Amino acid sequence: MNLRKTLANALGFAFLAAAAAAQAPAPTPPPGQPGEMVLKITKEAAGRKLPLAVPALSTPGIAAMQSRLVDPFTATLRSDLEYTGVFVIADPAHYPAGTRDPSTAETADRWLGTGAEILVDTRADVVADKVNVEARVWDLKAHQLILGRRYSGGVTYVERIAHTLANDLVKEITGRSGIFLSTILFVSDRDGAAESSKDIYAMDFDGRGVRRLTTHHSLALNPDARNGKVVFTSYHTRFPQIWMMNADGNGAREIKTGVELNASPALSPDGTQIAFVGSARGNADIYVISTAGSNLRRLTTTHALEASPDWSPTGRQILYTSDQTGTPQLWVMDAEGTGARRVTYSGNWNDEGAWSPDGSKIAFSCRNEGDFNVCVMDFATGNTVQLTSEGANGHPAWSPNGEKIVYQSKRGGRTQIYTMDANGENKRLLTDAGNNMQPIWLP
Amino acid sequence: MRNRTGTALLAFLAAAVCGLMAVGCPKKPPTTTSSATTTTEQPSRPPTTNVAPPAEAPSGSVSTEPLSGDVAAINRAGYLKDAYFDYDKADLRDDARSALSANAEWLKKYRSVQFLIEGHCDERGTAEYNLALGDRRANAAKEYLVSLGVDASRVKTVSYGKERPFCNQNSEDCWQQNRRGHFLVTAK
Repeated sequence: MNLRKTLANALGFAFLAAAAAAQAPAPTPPPGQPGEMVLKITKEAAGRKLPLAVPALSTPGIAAMQSRLVDPFTATLRSDLEYTGVFVIADPAHYPAGTRDPSTAETADRWLGTGAEILVDTRADVVADKVNVEARVWDLKAHQLILGRRYSGGVTYVERIAHTLANDLVKEITGRSGIFLSTILFVSDRDGAAESSKDIYAMDFDGRGVRRLTTHHSLALNPDARNGKVVFTSYHTRFPQIWMMNADGNGAREIKTGVELNASPALSPDGTQIAFVGSARGNADIYVISTAGSNLRRLTTTHALEASPDWSPTGRQILYTSDQTGTPQLWVMDAEGTGARRVTYSGNWNDEGAWSPDGSKIAFSCRNEGDFNVCVMDFATGNTVQLTSEGANGHPAWSPNGEKIVYQSKRGGRTQIYTMDANGENKRLLTDAGNNMQPIWLP
Repeated sequence: MRNRTGTALLAFLAAAVCGLMAVGCPKKPPTTTSSATTTTEQPSRPPTTNVAPPAEAPSGSVSTEPLSGDVAAINRAGYLKDAYFDYDKADLRDDARSALSANAEWLKKYRSVQFLIEGHCDERGTAEYNLALGDRRANAAKEYLVSLGVDASRVKTVSYGKERPFCNQNSEDCWQQNRRGHFLVTAK
């Protein structure tokens, strides 16, 4: 694919350039104590981003559609493309007026003069209250059309059309699925009554379109989701139980486990099993039960405290927290409970581990001293980087394509939800009402 | 689980023997250090030998008087004392044992009272881990009461982790308020 090659060349070139020029030198890591891995904040010189020209949606012959159509479409498309971390939008102030068809060298050169290498040309016509958007994406250097597609829908869905185009563009250029129609679930006290109640909410990937999924008038905590089903812990009946519902909040039912605590439920990749933290007489262990509420198995048998299970993408292993060596650390075991081994050694508290969708990395809450942060470890090598430094951070979860991490951060008095690239760049605040926490990205 | 029960039973027998002999048994050092430093903190261990000497023979203190007031009024009166814990621990300190002993005496007086122990934690640490820690604290308090002769069927436990703090300041005083087994009468 021509453009992928273009991108690969661009990024490859950028990597060499960054290594040679080192214009943004990496911070010197603090001196490590003997035998201790040093965590450092990444400020990697990222590869050069591919510059795009994204002129405003053109609406020939249609007046008075600026605020209803042009502005929301254009803003959404630009915002999505920049959010990928792969692209940068060339300054619209420098875009040439007139023709956009860059199949001739002359027009292409005028667009190349803006600094862009790709032109995303979109035009719309409106029939009744239906909008048709035609998108043409050009490789300006090769003078080639690389994507041509039509979208249509109600005028009120213009942002959704922009998200869909952004997804298609990302897929075409990077080969990976875009996240612009994805959903994040989280816990919030925004509608909480006096007794600090919390419920489960959903929002779009960018924090818009918040909708409430539970109304339990108590604590609904720690959602996890697979295959359109959501599991969580609810104190609706005073004592914590595992509940399961559809991703839209309907069809909620309790899954009785027969043990206490019932915290941190995690659905297996095939959606048939739930790993969770159960307790008998104050000894918290990792248990598994089927979503039908049968076949309860206790996987860990230590006298220590176990917490926070997460399935590997293959469903063959479970990542969890155990304090059996004296501090909470991440451990991994087979899904049958055998072969437990310790995963983290650095820092005095590592917890809330989350496997990346391809299984190569784990994100987790890490603390050495001071506040918690979000760390990512390469699972094969154990190499670990700390991705946050401001506030108290934690509970990371991956986007379905593995490019983003969503997490919670407490800065000042309140806890809010942020996203960042998997290398720690491009941090964005998604929430602002009440306290918001324990996010997961729907697969 | 089996091991732990075994250990507890052995400890109980040892304590019973000590009680009879009255001499020559080592006293456990009190564990009262309340530490705010997180870096030197040792992990929480399961409560080990929290078994008290055998209870005194009942001294005819069972009340014939019913408790006055409804459950809410009884809770407001604060007959049952909360048990406080050290950071990231569920071991019973001396002050917690004193409170629990007093609770046991009261509960033996009013034998129809049913009650709940809520396990609470301070805000440091992750929410998920703290749910398990709160569960351990509530159960440590419960087991001690049971060892003092309170019928286990009268008590339920629930952990709120750090979800329902009593105090919201960022200070050791406040954190100590939040590290507790909180008692609630649920039926009289």
